[in-house]
Amino acid sequence: MNFDTRKYVIISFFVITGLMYGIKLFYMQVVDTETWKLEAQRIAERRIEVTPPRAVVFDRNGNKVIENKTYYNLMMIEEEMVDFDTVAFGKLIGMTKDEVLARIEEIKEGEGRYFNPHTKEYQTNYQRIRPYPFLKELTADEIARIAPQLDNFKGFYEEVTSMRNYPYKSGANILGYLAEVTQPEIDKDPFYKPAYKIGRAGIERFYEKEFRGKKGVKYIVTSARQNTVGSFEDGKYDTTAVQSKGIVLGLDIDLQAYGEKLMQNKKGCIVAIEPATGEILTMVSAPTYDPNLLVGRKNINEHYPKLVEDENKPLFPRPLASEYMPGSTFKPIQALIGMQEGVVQANTGFPCNKSVVGCHNHPHPGSVTQAVQYSCNPYFYALTRRIIQQGKHKSSFKDSEVGIDIWAEYMHSFGLGRKLETDITGLRAGNIPDSKYYDHWRGKGQWKFSAIQSISIGQGEVQLTPLQMANVAAIMANRGWFYTPHFVKSIDGGGPRKEYTVKNRTMVDEKHFPPVVEGMRRCVHEPGGTASRARIPGIVTCGKTGTVENFKLVNGRLIKKPNHSVFIAFAPMDNPKIAIAVFVENTGGGGGTWAAPIASLVIEKYLNGEVKSVEKEKRILDAKLSLWE
Amino acid sequence: MRKNDSIAGNFDWILFGIYILLIVFGISTIYSVTYNPEHPSIFSFSEMYGRQIFFVGVSLFLGLLVFLIDSDIYRKFSIPIYLFTLSLLIIVLFTEPINGAHSWLGLGAFGIQPGEFAKIGTAILLANYMSSFNVKQQNGQTVIVSLAIIAIPMLLIMFQPDAGTFVVFTAFFFVMYREGLTFDPIVLRIVNAIPGVRFKSTWLGTHFIPILFVVVFLLVITLIISHKPILLDAYPGEEFSGYWRMFLALFVTSILGYLIMRSIFAKRDARRALVIVILFFSTSTVITSAVHFGFESLPAHQKTRIELWLGIYEPEEGTGKVEDGADYNRSRAMTAVGSGGFAGKGYREANVATTKTEHVPECETDFIFSPWAEERGFVGSIFLVVLYTFLLLRVITIAERQRSKYNRVYAYSVAMILFYHFAINIGMNIGLVPIIGIPLPLFSYGGSSMMAFSVMIFLLLKLDSQRKDVLN
Repeated sequence: MNFDTRKYVIISFFVITGLMYGIKLFYMQVVDTETWKLEAQRIAERRIEVTPPRAVVFDRNGNKVIENKTYYNLMMIEEEMVDFDTVAFGKLIGMTKDEVLARIEEIKEGEGRYFNPHTKEYQTNYQRIRPYPFLKELTADEIARIAPQLDNFKGFYEEVTSMRNYPYKSGANILGYLAEVTQPEIDKDPFYKPAYKIGRAGIERFYEKEFRGKKGVKYIVTSARQNTVGSFEDGKYDTTAVQSKGIVLGLDIDLQAYGEKLMQNKKGCIVAIEPATGEILTMVSAPTYDPNLLVGRKNINEHYPKLVEDENKPLFPRPLASEYMPGSTFKPIQALIGMQEGVVQANTGFPCNKSVVGCHNHPHPGSVTQAVQYSCNPYFYALTRRIIQQGKHKSSFKDSEVGIDIWAEYMHSFGLGRKLETDITGLRAGNIPDSKYYDHWRGKGQWKFSAIQSISIGQGEVQLTPLQMANVAAIMANRGWFYTPHFVKSIDGGGPRKEYTVKNRTMVDEKHFPPVVEGMRRCVHEPGGTASRARIPGIVTCGKTGTVENFKLVNGRLIKKPNHSVFIAFAPMDNPKIAIAVFVENTGGGGGTWAAPIASLVIEKYLNGEVKSVEKEKRILDAKLSLWE
Repeated sequence: MRKNDSIAGNFDWILFGIYILLIVFGISTIYSVTYNPEHPSIFSFSEMYGRQIFFVGVSLFLGLLVFLIDSDIYRKFSIPIYLFTLSLLIIVLFTEPINGAHSWLGLGAFGIQPGEFAKIGTAILLANYMSSFNVKQQNGQTVIVSLAIIAIPMLLIMFQPDAGTFVVFTAFFFVMYREGLTFDPIVLRIVNAIPGVRFKSTWLGTHFIPILFVVVFLLVITLIISHKPILLDAYPGEEFSGYWRMFLALFVTSILGYLIMRSIFAKRDARRALVIVILFFSTSTVITSAVHFGFESLPAHQKTRIELWLGIYEPEEGTGKVEDGADYNRSRAMTAVGSGGFAGKGYREANVATTKTEHVPECETDFIFSPWAEERGFVGSIFLVVLYTFLLLRVITIAERQRSKYNRVYAYSVAMILFYHFAINIGMNIGLVPIIGIPLPLFSYGGSSMMAFSVMIFLLLKLDSQRKDVLN
C-alpha cells in the first residue's frame, strides 16, 4: 500500500500550527499590545518621585533663618524580618513588647493608605516587601544608640530624612511651621504623598509652592524581587528635582530677636518697615514661642496643644490679626485729609475747646503742625467735622453720609479698612466705617457727625492692625506713597513678587505732608512733646503717640481696663530708613510711656547697630506688663 | 550526474543554513538576556553566552564525527546505540536529583541529559525495525514492537520524572502513522462487534494518531483560550462566554488553511481541500464546544484541579497573591511577548524577560522565545515562527526524497521531534499550551539539547547526502 498522501496530514499540522501561532502573535503583539505594555509597566517599571529639600531661607543680611537639619527614620520591611525578637527590639528602642506589636499592626492598617480614584474608596496597599517607617524623626544621637545593634534585627534599617531648623529661635509668627499633609490635601494636589510636610502658617504656608521646589521623576526598572535594576531606557523620561535656590527675606533677624527681647513679659506688637521698599524688617508678636517647638510630629504633638491652650495666645499673629483702635496715632492722617480736601489750611487754627471733647493742658493750636504736636482732641474734632460735614447738602444727615464716604475712600488709599496684600496668611482688614456701616448699625438717615465723632481721634469704630499702623508710618516717611509691606524680597535670585514692586499712592498730595511731619518731629524733639522718651541722640525721629482707651465687655457691661500704649514713628526725618509701629496692651500708661521708648530702642538698634541708651533699655527689659489680662 | 554523486553535491545546504541561523539567533538572545557587564565579551566562558558558544563548538565537532562515519554503521549498530541510551537513562535514575528530578548525568563540570540523546537512539532503532524486510505495517505484532521501542525509554523518563521529554516521545506515533501504521483492526473489532455492522475500514482507525492529537490539542487549547469570559467595553457589566474566542479562532484558521491548501495543492485536489476544511471546522467546533461546556459544568474542585494542571488557575482576589498562582510563569512570559509590540523594544532593551529582572523565570532556556519576542516584536517573532515552519517543511521534503525506508523513518522522527519542541515551547510562551518545560531547538541555552539536536540533524544530513547510494 502507498501511504504517501499521509505526508499531507503531517504537513498541514505544521502549517496550521505556524498559522495559529502567527495569528495569536499578531493579536498579542499588534492588536492587544497596549494591554500587555501596561502589564509590563506594572510589573517591571516603577515611577519614583524625588522630592527636593525645602528652600533655605535667609534674612536681609544673609543669615540663615530657616535651614534643613538631618534626621533619621527607622524603617521596617516585614518580608525581611526573620526570628524577630520583639522583647530585645523593644528594649533597644524603649518600648514594651506589646507596644512593638501594636506599632506593627498600626503600620499595616494605616500606612500606604491612598484614595483610589477608580473605586472612590480609601484603600491600604501595605505590602510586606515595601519599607515603612517604624519610628520617625530620630535625632543623630538617638539613631547612634540604635544603629549599631540593627544588624541583630533583620528587616530594620535607618533612613535619612530632613526637617526644618530655626537657628535664631525667633520670628515664629512670621516663618510659620510645617505639619503633615491631610488626606484632602493629598487628594487635591498630586505633589503630596502621605507623611509629606506642608506649610501650615506664616510664609511657610504662603510660599508653599516656592518653598517645596519642583519634583523630579525617575523611571526605573525593577526586578521580580522589587530591587532596582537600572534606569528605564537610560533615563530618557527622567526629570531632575529642582530645589529652590533660596528665599531672601527683608527681615533683619537680629532686629527681630532684639524686638522679641524688648517685648518679653509684655503683650503687643512691633512692626518695622523699610519705607523705600516696603520690606518688613521686624514683626514681633508678643508673647511668642520658639519655632523649633513645632518641628516634627513628636514636637508638634507635644507642644502644639500647650501653645493653643496658652491664655496669652502665642500662636495668634497679633500684628496681622489683632484689630486695635489706633488712638491719637490716627490724627496725622486726619490732618492730611483735611488739607487735601481744602477744609483746613496748614495755618488753620482751632481753639482747644474742652467742652466738646476732653483734652490735656496745652496752648491753643494755631496750625496743623501744632495740632499734631499737642495732639489736640478738640482741634481734630473740629477738623474731622469739616471733612465729614462739608455743607454740600442741606440736611446734616445726608451731608454726613456723603462726607464719610469721601473720608473712607481717603483711608482706603492709606491701606486702612482693607486687607493689605502682604505675603502671609491670617491678615485682617481692620475697620474704617463708611455710610453703609453706620446705616447698618444705626439706620439710614439716623446718624450724623455728632453721633460718630470719636472716629476723629482714632477711637470708636475705627480699627487698625499694627501692620497697617506701621504702613501709615512708612507713608509718612515717604510723604505720600507706599509699597505693600512684604516679607520676601527675593525668590530664587530674582526680585519679590510683582505686586510688591508697584507704588501705591495715597489720595493726599506730597505738598501737604511737611506740616504734619514737622508736627510729628516736634512730638519727639520739642520740650513738652508727648514722645520725648523716643529721642535718640544724633537721630531726628518723627513720631506720634497714642493712648487707647480699653473697654472690655464683662457680663454685658463695658468695664474700663488699663489703656493700651501706641506709637508710630519713622527715622531719620530726611531719607527715612525705618518706619515703625509699636503697640503694647494694657499698660495703663500713655503711648509715650512704653511704646515710644520701645520704638526708639528698635530704631537705634537698626540705625546704629547697637544700643547706647542702656538705662532706657533696662527699664523696658525689666518691665512686666499686664500678661495676666 | 557526477556532481550528484559527490557528498558536497548532495549536501542539503538549506537545512544547514537554517541550522546555523537558529544557533546564531539563539546565542544573540542568550547574550542579551544573561548579559553581565563584568564579563562583556560574548566569549566569556563564565557566562552562559560563552558556554553556549562552547557547546556549539562541541556540537559542530560531534556533527563532523557523525558525518565522517559511514551511514551504514548507524543502521548496523542501531540496537547497541539504543541500548546505550537506555542504560544512560537507567544510570541517571541513581543520581542526586536536581530540582526534584533525576535528569542530569554529571560529566566533569558539565552535566548531560540522557533524555535528549534517548530520542536519537529511539529514532535509529525505530527506523531500523520499521525498514526491516519482514515487517508489515498492518500487523498487530508490528504495532506492539514499535510501541515497545518507544514505550521503554518513555517509562524510564517517567521515573525521572521529566514530563516534557515524556510528551515529546509521543512524536514517534506520527512517524508510525506516516509509515502506514493503523489502529483499524482494533477499531474494526470493536465497531463490528455491534450486531448488523460490517465495516471494511474506518476513518477513525486509519487516522487514529492525528485524530487523537487534534482532539487532545483542541481539548487543551479550548480550555486555555475559553477560560476567561469576554468583557466588551461596548457592553459594560456583561460577560460573554470565552468560547466565542475559540470559535472565532477556528473559523479564521479554517479559512486561512483553505486558502493555503488551495495554493499548495494541485487543481484537482482543490475540492478535497474544501471537504477537509469543512470537516475540520465542523468536527472541531463540536468537540471544542463540548469540551468547554462540559468543563464549565464540572464541580468547582475538579475544575480547580484541571486549571492547576493547565497553568491557568487564578486564585480569587483576596485569597492569595497572583504571584503564588501557577499562572505566574505563563502570564509573565505572555507579558514579555505582548509588550514587545510590533517592532519590539530593541536589542538588549527587554526588561520583563531578562535575567536582570527575573520576571520571567528560565528566560534563557524554556522561555527564551519571550525575550526574543519582547526585543524584536511581532516582526521578529513571526520571522522565527516562519523559520521553524520552514525548517520542519524542509525536513519533510528531505524525508520524502529518500529511497530507503530507513532514512525516511529517521527523517520523519527528526521532523516530528522538532515539531513537538517548536509547538510546545512557543505555544507555552504565548499562552496556548500548558507549561511543559522543553527547550526551543537550537535556540535555548543548554549543552545537552544543543548537542543532541546537532547530532540528530547532522545524521539526517549524512543520510540524505548518501541517499543515492542506497538501493531500496
